[in-house]
Amino acid sequence: MSDELVRLENLEVHFPIRGGLTDIVLRRTKGVVRAVDGIDLVIQRGEILGLVGESGSGKTTTGRVVVKLTRQTGGRVVVDGLDVTNLWGTRALRPYRRRVQLIFQDPYETLNPKHTIGDFVAEPLEVMGIGTSQDRPQRVLDALDAAGLRPAADFAARFPHELSGGQRQRVVIAGALVMAPELIVADEPVSMLDVSIRTELLRLMLDLRRERGLTYLFITHDLSLAWVLADRIAVMYLGKILEIGPAEAVIRSPRNPYTQALVSVSPSTDPPEGEGVDERTILVGETPDAAHVPSGCRFHPRCPVAFARCAAEEPPLFDVGGGQQAACWLVEPGAMPAA
Amino acid sequence: MSAASVAVRRPSRLRALREFAARFSTRTDGILGVAILTVFVILALAPALFVGPLENAVTASGDPLTPPSAAHLFGTDELGRDMLNLTVHGARISMTIGLLATVITVVVGVGIGILSGFLGGRWDAFLMWLTDVFLVLPNLVLAIALAPILLDLVGDNAELLGIRATLLVIVVVIGLTSWATTARVIRSQVLSLKERAFVDRARVIGSGSGRIMRRHILPNIINLIVAQAVLTFAYAVFTETSLAFIGLGDPFSPSWGQILNAAQEAGAPGLLAWWYIAPPAVCVVLVVVAFTLVGNALDDVLNPKSGARR
Amino acid sequence: MTAQHEARGRRQWPLPKQAVPGAPLLEVEHLSVRFRMASGPSVKPVDDVSFRLDDGEALGIAGESGCGKTTTALSLVRLLPANGRISNGSVKLFGIDLVPKTERQLARYRWREVSMVFQGAMNALNPVKRIGDQIAEPLEVRLGQPRDASLRRAGDLLELVGIPRQRAAAYPHELSGGMRQRAMIAMSLACDPAIVIGDEPTTALDVMVQAQILALLERLRKELGLSLILITHDLSVIAETCDRVMVMYAGKVAEEGPVRRVFTAPRHPYTARLLAAFPNIRADRRNLEVIPGSPPDLRTPPPGCRFAPRCDRAMPQCTEEVPPEVRFSDGVRVACHLFPPGAEGALSGAAAGLAVVSTPSAASPPEGSRP
Repeated sequence: MSDELVRLENLEVHFPIRGGLTDIVLRRTKGVVRAVDGIDLVIQRGEILGLVGESGSGKTTTGRVVVKLTRQTGGRVVVDGLDVTNLWGTRALRPYRRRVQLIFQDPYETLNPKHTIGDFVAEPLEVMGIGTSQDRPQRVLDALDAAGLRPAADFAARFPHELSGGQRQRVVIAGALVMAPELIVADEPVSMLDVSIRTELLRLMLDLRRERGLTYLFITHDLSLAWVLADRIAVMYLGKILEIGPAEAVIRSPRNPYTQALVSVSPSTDPPEGEGVDERTILVGETPDAAHVPSGCRFHPRCPVAFARCAAEEPPLFDVGGGQQAACWLVEPGAMPAA
Repeated sequence: MSAASVAVRRPSRLRALREFAARFSTRTDGILGVAILTVFVILALAPALFVGPLENAVTASGDPLTPPSAAHLFGTDELGRDMLNLTVHGARISMTIGLLATVITVVVGVGIGILSGFLGGRWDAFLMWLTDVFLVLPNLVLAIALAPILLDLVGDNAELLGIRATLLVIVVVIGLTSWATTARVIRSQVLSLKERAFVDRARVIGSGSGRIMRRHILPNIINLIVAQAVLTFAYAVFTETSLAFIGLGDPFSPSWGQILNAAQEAGAPGLLAWWYIAPPAVCVVLVVVAFTLVGNALDDVLNPKSGARR
Repeated sequence: MTAQHEARGRRQWPLPKQAVPGAPLLEVEHLSVRFRMASGPSVKPVDDVSFRLDDGEALGIAGESGCGKTTTALSLVRLLPANGRISNGSVKLFGIDLVPKTERQLARYRWREVSMVFQGAMNALNPVKRIGDQIAEPLEVRLGQPRDASLRRAGDLLELVGIPRQRAAAYPHELSGGMRQRAMIAMSLACDPAIVIGDEPTTALDVMVQAQILALLERLRKELGLSLILITHDLSVIAETCDRVMVMYAGKVAEEGPVRRVFTAPRHPYTARLLAAFPNIRADRRNLEVIPGSPPDLRTPPPGCRFAPRCDRAMPQCTEEVPPEVRFSDGVRVACHLFPPGAEGALSGAAAGLAVVSTPSAASPPEGSRP
């Protein structure tokens, strides 16, 4: 059993922009949204990889490709040594789905208001034919208990509207745990919850990792959350990974100007004394839309230290030591260090 | 499923029904509509019980064209048949045609709406183009155009499963002209449901399209289907009446429209025989209004968010 | 426009005729709001809240959902729902108490002196009207200005918030989230208000856009002499933009004071736990502190201190008496039995100013607590 659980090679997800009936019939496209534009990513077994980016970065799409809710248009997806790139079809995907699950962002929307909590958690067992009708109830109760909803039997009978946001999100987690997965993709699992509830849920995720040997792909726009939870952090921008490395390295010594800007503007409850607004690298404008990706390094139009080469050529990820990589011409081996 | 949650599930359905009944009972418009419809449904189910068998030229019980009297509450037609008798029997035919047409409309409209919304892509584009074609054509004009063609095709005396083919033609024509609205309405609801997180979740745990449509999409559009069906029923009755009135109905099935047609041909307006025209016309209006009231009330009650601001 | 200008801070604008000279910009005293519920007892989402805002200040109101921060803000401009009303207290703007005023009288102040940027504001724009028109609307309606003057001013405001003037012709859906938020801010500035209340103004935005918006608010504060009330659950945003912070819990004020003091040396246990529970990018790793339990149901608030059931330093006194507010010499105000009126550094008498006279509700006040 190798250490590598997930390997994404040159993953591409391009969405065509189509018009009306004539365009569809004639298979004409008006353009392409390059949501994910060639990324390489490896997730080690048992680690928490934080995938960080703003809206339009492609992080959610990447997560959806890993759980096979979205079809990639290029590249390879390898999970536990098996090439699952072309594995599709409800039946064929069942074994895969048992091992790879998703936790959603919105606990209010994920639960069907007409089904009980017990229904929700039991549904994957029914769909996948796990267990027998005798032991399924117990599996449901075990999952609810593991997610911190006690007494489990009590919660199983309730409806979503009777639960708070934090409790609902625990139900969502229970619904993923009941299949005993190995990899959980968590897409902004706490962003819709109150601050003090967030830490409870994050704690739960850490505990579950320790108890069950889970691996997480943690997708978030909040760098502070990634800092607190992730072992490694990958920063995405407009469909590409601009920096990746151990959390400590990426946050404390970011090498890519975009990461540097993000870290500098991430607010904290104790900003250093004397550091005013001017110390923050506040970028101008907003992320361009993925249908019009800039040439060369896609960050160059907003980069405070861009130079001529940046507009012409797209930099690959350079190794900067300690397992950290950054895609920037300024960190090319042999390049002048940034001022 | 734990025993506890199963035990709670069934009472929850009862509770939902009781809640629905409670909310519906606050709607005076809905109650009124239901009351009116109940009367007509009872009459339609067993007309003979109330007024005896359908009178024809041979069994006509009165003198031609007499105004309302104690013996004939609604007067008589030009053959001497009791108008009350004709009107009550007409209820059965009009409502039956309405029901059959509604069934066709709902099955076709909902089917296309769900498939189109859920499958998307080329299927959606084609089906919606088709829907738009039917949507744009004026219903009544289309019905008037289709009916004689189909009637001609089918012939006067053909029968299918014991039902007169001409009757079926009317049903089909009404169904063809009203499914498009339902399809569009259902499709737009399915489109928005499809994007919601619980559908994604169903996919991610391995549910196939069939299961998703059954367990997640359908329960969330039942309300809409019911409201649409009720309104379609009203439309169907009205259209049948219109078609029959202009002579495209089945002369042997005296629906309300057919009675009006006969009144027209007998010269009732000129003879000021108002009792010949008023009963069927008033009945049509009452039934259509009743269905509309119920349909609106249902829409509000079943979708509490829409009526919340009252 | 009257010639009566009084220089206040860096800004000049005519004061309302009833203004009391020398009064603080905003003074809220013992504000309580009551909501009548469909069934059961009424709820007080805001219970005896007092605070003060001076010229050019930025006050952050922090707390979890349900603590009453939004209701407090809404009650300042009396935008409460139908079943809510201010049951006690005063809201004095320039010394003028707004609470007894009628809806018509309030119109003089709403949007003209106090305006608001709502939660999810960027989705509150009218989708079928151009943004230039939407910004000009309050000018026409409230100030009675002619159309072309209003549109010109709308253009000025857009420039002020960093949107090119030409985009006044755009519809909301043509703008990004960040730009829509800027447009909302422009709208709130239309009538030159003294105070802008922002209710979670950056919550749904990306962190870079959030930084841009916060920097914009900071710049506007300096250029226009604006005062700001920022309501958010995000303590880090308050830490970086506000001068003072007021932490609320279950409808009451837990702690209030200069941001530096409160965040580096919190006195109230809730403030301390809240700060510890906040992921902090500049702190050491994995500080995932948890506050056990959840906020109380305000239909049946617990007796005494409302945080007592979840507090690890609760004493028997805490479940019996509501703790009085005590003001300290470093400018911090706390309501906690760990910091009783006689504690070290506590002010008493006239120097205590605003807050000391907060009366405990049920039990009789302890000896010597009243100055």
